Amino acid sequence: MLYVLFLSMRRELPIFGVSRFTGLDNYFFLLSDDRFWNALGNTLYFTLLSVSVELVLGLAIALLLERDFRHKGMMRAVVLLPWAIPTVVSARMWEWIFNGDFGVLNRLLGIRINWLGSPFWAMHAAVFADIWKTTPFVAIIIMAGLQAIPRDLYRAARVDGAGSLDIFMGITLPLLRPVILVVLLFRSLDAFRVFDAVYVLTGGGPANTTETLSIYAYKVLFQTLQFGYGSTLAVAVFLCTGLISAGYIRLLMGGKR
Amino acid sequence: MKWAAVLPILVLLAMIAGCDRKDGNDRNSGTVIVFKHGKIAGDPIILRGLLDSFEAENPGIKLRDETLPSSSDEQHQFYVINLEGKSADFDVLSLDVIWVPEFARAGWLSDLSRLFPPDERNDFFPGPVSAVTWERKVFAVPWYIDAGLLYYRCDILEKYGLSPPRTWPELVAQARRITSAEKGLYGFIWQGKQYEGLVCNALEYLRSNNGDVLRNGEVAIDSPENVAALSFMRDLIARYGVSPPLVTTASEETTRHIFGNGRALFMRNWPYAWNLFQDKGSMVRGKVGVAPLPAFQVGRSAPTLGGWQLGVNRYSRHQEAAFRLVRFLTAPEAQKLLCLKVGYKPTRVSLYADRELQKSQPFIASLCDIFMTARPRPVTPYYMMFTQVMQPELSAALAGVRPPEAALRSAGRQMRHILGGVR
Repeated sequence: MLYVLFLSMRRELPIFGVSRFTGLDNYFFLLSDDRFWNALGNTLYFTLLSVSVELVLGLAIALLLERDFRHKGMMRAVVLLPWAIPTVVSARMWEWIFNGDFGVLNRLLGIRINWLGSPFWAMHAAVFADIWKTTPFVAIIIMAGLQAIPRDLYRAARVDGAGSLDIFMGITLPLLRPVILVVLLFRSLDAFRVFDAVYVLTGGGPANTTETLSIYAYKVLFQTLQFGYGSTLAVAVFLCTGLISAGYIRLLMGGKR
Repeated sequence: MKWAAVLPILVLLAMIAGCDRKDGNDRNSGTVIVFKHGKIAGDPIILRGLLDSFEAENPGIKLRDETLPSSSDEQHQFYVINLEGKSADFDVLSLDVIWVPEFARAGWLSDLSRLFPPDERNDFFPGPVSAVTWERKVFAVPWYIDAGLLYYRCDILEKYGLSPPRTWPELVAQARRITSAEKGLYGFIWQGKQYEGLVCNALEYLRSNNGDVLRNGEVAIDSPENVAALSFMRDLIARYGVSPPLVTTASEETTRHIFGNGRALFMRNWPYAWNLFQDKGSMVRGKVGVAPLPAFQVGRSAPTLGGWQLGVNRYSRHQEAAFRLVRFLTAPEAQKLLCLKVGYKPTRVSLYADRELQKSQPFIASLCDIFMTARPRPVTPYYMMFTQVMQPELSAALAGVRPPEAALRSAGRQMRHILGGVR
């Protein structure tokens, strides 16, 4: 970590034998780097969209799975499947499904959209694949939170004549708050640092419209071998995730009162 | 009871004693050298057989061959990390044609000029030779060669009485005429996904219009010829409708599948696809022809050079043995064997006149002319940075995000910044 910080203030181009201290130059360049802002924008959009949809879907699934029905145990296992498949494998699978020419999706919908080749759809395809993969994670954690709510509260509320919606808004949600915040924290950090899900699907294209910060840092570090600037990007990612964590922890602590 | 405790310790000791890797010297049988390369197509037994003959010819040298993932980028990452750390864990490495100037500039490759005297040099194709030469010294020896080809359905062209197009406008005209008559057929498919393959494709248009990326060390990517060529590429999709929009996500295998299922008339791809089309069970067996890529003017075809070279790690402790291996693997006998058994095309011009090769792969004679005109991507240590600039800009032009002129201007600006900024 310290070495990355050290490198981020240098100009390190090993293949040119350049290695010298440049202070905050890299950081100033970062602020004016269009590609950085593009990647940051893409990453924020990706994170906001996928985390919010995952939360709503995960909550819905968790609530459904709390009810008693036949094959409840098996359903819980099935729901966990997408999370269990390695990201790279599922991304490859989605790459074939989203294929504009012979992909299953276009066949099912009866349309001809070039999902991964169109600047607008590519980002949403990546978001969709990510939602598919990580909603089970959200659902499982919220399920655990739901089980911690004492049943007596529900019984008391029904006796008082409260309807389902009142129960949900007045009892379930407030008591789930810490669990929801924790799951949001995990998911936001993961979504912000997403790499393999998007890289395998689109490689950052078309035209860098799906390039996230991690992908940009990877390309700068390992393909252009600019170890100095690449480290600066890594520090930027670190700072952003730090901010996100701090924000959530604030919210968590605030609720304790 | 005591054995239960002692036995695992004995096993552990035996394992530690056997882990004598750092030295590279097997106490009993001389030097051990390591050959690092990407996955070789076909049966690994073929390469192992070749290496065994090397060992037989060179008693005292033992060979270990280690494979890396087949993705070029992943291999690049491996080499960069290890060579920057001055690793001596491997002696001979296989290099993608675009890495040689970069690795040479970084001082990671041994100078192989004496393995490659001028008379030897003449037997190799000029494209690969210039790709492995940096500051008048040779840092790798070309091992096998690849170049962009035009694949076409000879049965369909014959039906319409046409011969393969020699200019791009001719290709468009033929494709439009045929696809309006035949249903379920794409006109022309190629690789337009945002990756290295896109740069290979794009250069075939830019250079066949007399443009280039670098001219005398100066950035020339935003020239009017290049803008016209790139606009033509975009028009293939947007205006002429000859290429489907899916080419903007297509890589080699995607297009190979589509063409192999008989759903395209023309395809641009590397020579490897030919063997797969001629396999038993292939839908297009016997119906595929191969021709040089068209150009904007007859005779200006500019296929992009691919292929892999063999180099020696400068930090290797067995330079002589490594040199011998490189010499052996690039000798005519080894190249011929790889061609016959694996389909890798030789880098030695003389082999294309070999009777046995011609009998086994009849179209190899026509490939010889194409390989003669194959042009390497810009031979500069900045290339990896340049391609990272070009890929998104070219992709932006093809996807309609930015007009070709703006894309190339932006690319030019960034590339000049890179050239000026390395101080």
